[in-house]
Amino acid sequence: MTSPNLINELTASRPVAPTALRARVREIAAQEAAPHAARGASLWPKLRLPVRRIALVAVPAAATIAIASAGVLGLARSDSNVDALRSQSFTGKVQSEAAPETNLATPAQDLGSTVSPTLDRAQRISATLTVEVADSDGVSRAAQKALDLTESLGGHVVSASVATGDQGNAALVVRVPVAKVQEAIVQLSALGRIVSQQVTIDDLQANLDQLERRERSVRAQIAVVVAKLEGDSLDATTRAQLESRLRTLRQELRGLRRDTAATNAEARMATIQLTVVTPGVLTAVPVPSRLDRTLDEALNVLVWEGVISLAIAIVAAPFALLFLATWLGRKLYRRREEDRLLAT
Amino acid sequence: MSIEAPRRADTAAASFAAVAEEHLDDVYGYLLYLTKNWALAEDLTSETFETALRRWRRFDPRRGTHRAWLIAIARSTALDWFRADARRQRREERAEAGELDKNRDHAFGEGFSPELEEGLRALTAGEREVVALRVVLDLDGDETARLLGITVTAVSTRLHRALAKLEERMRHHDVA
Repeated sequence: MTSPNLINELTASRPVAPTALRARVREIAAQEAAPHAARGASLWPKLRLPVRRIALVAVPAAATIAIASAGVLGLARSDSNVDALRSQSFTGKVQSEAAPETNLATPAQDLGSTVSPTLDRAQRISATLTVEVADSDGVSRAAQKALDLTESLGGHVVSASVATGDQGNAALVVRVPVAKVQEAIVQLSALGRIVSQQVTIDDLQANLDQLERRERSVRAQIAVVVAKLEGDSLDATTRAQLESRLRTLRQELRGLRRDTAATNAEARMATIQLTVVTPGVLTAVPVPSRLDRTLDEALNVLVWEGVISLAIAIVAAPFALLFLATWLGRKLYRRREEDRLLAT
Repeated sequence: MSIEAPRRADTAAASFAAVAEEHLDDVYGYLLYLTKNWALAEDLTSETFETALRRWRRFDPRRGTHRAWLIAIARSTALDWFRADARRQRREERAEAGELDKNRDHAFGEGFSPELEEGLRALTAGEREVVALRVVLDLDGDETARLLGITVTAVSTRLHRALAKLEERMRHHDVA
């Protein structure tokens, strides 16, 4: 018998349920309540959504919610930050350096009179001044006066940059003797209208004292080693060790002297950074637009949302993998069991 | 193995009674092929429709036809019975099977030749299952594959193997 014949015979003799079974199934079907079934047939499929469809809706919805919430939060936070940004834009320019110990900064006048370096202690004094003059010519004149003043006070110029034109400005770094720093600040402040002024004083005396103590100690050690080397009872090995030690101590002493000299030099001269500007040059750093602020804040929120999502994913991943492995194992086991059952 | 006929009862508003009436022979035929035991097939058919009635509210027409849904329930019911039977046989060490098969001359239906009956009996349950689904119930390859949880290719292979075994069996019978 060939396959077509087989199939014909199989299809021609389809099993038909016996009458008794048909009656039994009709009895079962009769238990179905009409309203109940109607509701079941129409409502349940609507409520029961396949996973893929849920994902198709849920993923874009979650992304939209995340972006929308970031936008709303960004918009709300952009308002609250504007004042802080404005204040930062100005003071950030003026107080560009942190002051370790003493920091006197004010946009007001007469600050020069408040600076009083302690002459009996070694100190590093730095001052930053910004003065505004009427025009570009005023910038040149003020810069020249500052250079002259520096020279007259016994100081020197470290760097100088003068630009003329509509946006004329000058930037000078000068060093003047500490004893004259007060006078220098007062006179430099008088070159124009003070926009900002900052004086920083760092105490160097402690460092200097430490250097001097170490120097005394090294000198004493050198004296001891030299005395030992002048004796006649030393063997060759001990003599070689002592000579090596003497060389090391002398090298250290030279280094200490250099550091002491440098610290003293630092303490003798004060550094003044002078900026001379014309009106309009020194304006506040432009505050970002509301759109920029909103986008920045929204981006921050999105980053945080991403971080939180990542953290949740990291925590949940092992459980998800365990669940997946269990599910796959169970599925595989059932498949094998079915194959075994159907193989008989 | 033609294209499936229009589904009269495969609408959301179809009543369970109508669906049961329409697909009773399909479910019974499938279970008969699977179990090669008419009495057991009748019991499992009843059980299948009882389960189907309980789950009737959960039927989703978007996921398949009423027939495929009922056959899936029938398959699950039959496999549960096979599992229970295997456990019972192990427990009672009762190896005798097919006691009920002898109660009727034509286990698979009227009109079958004795050779074909014998050939079908010689097939495994898995082979008879695929013959029932693809040949007797005329399900298409995709639907059968979904029901059995295997690929369409595996369905074709299994069907080809089953028919080849049947042919071989019957050829051998003719020669004898």
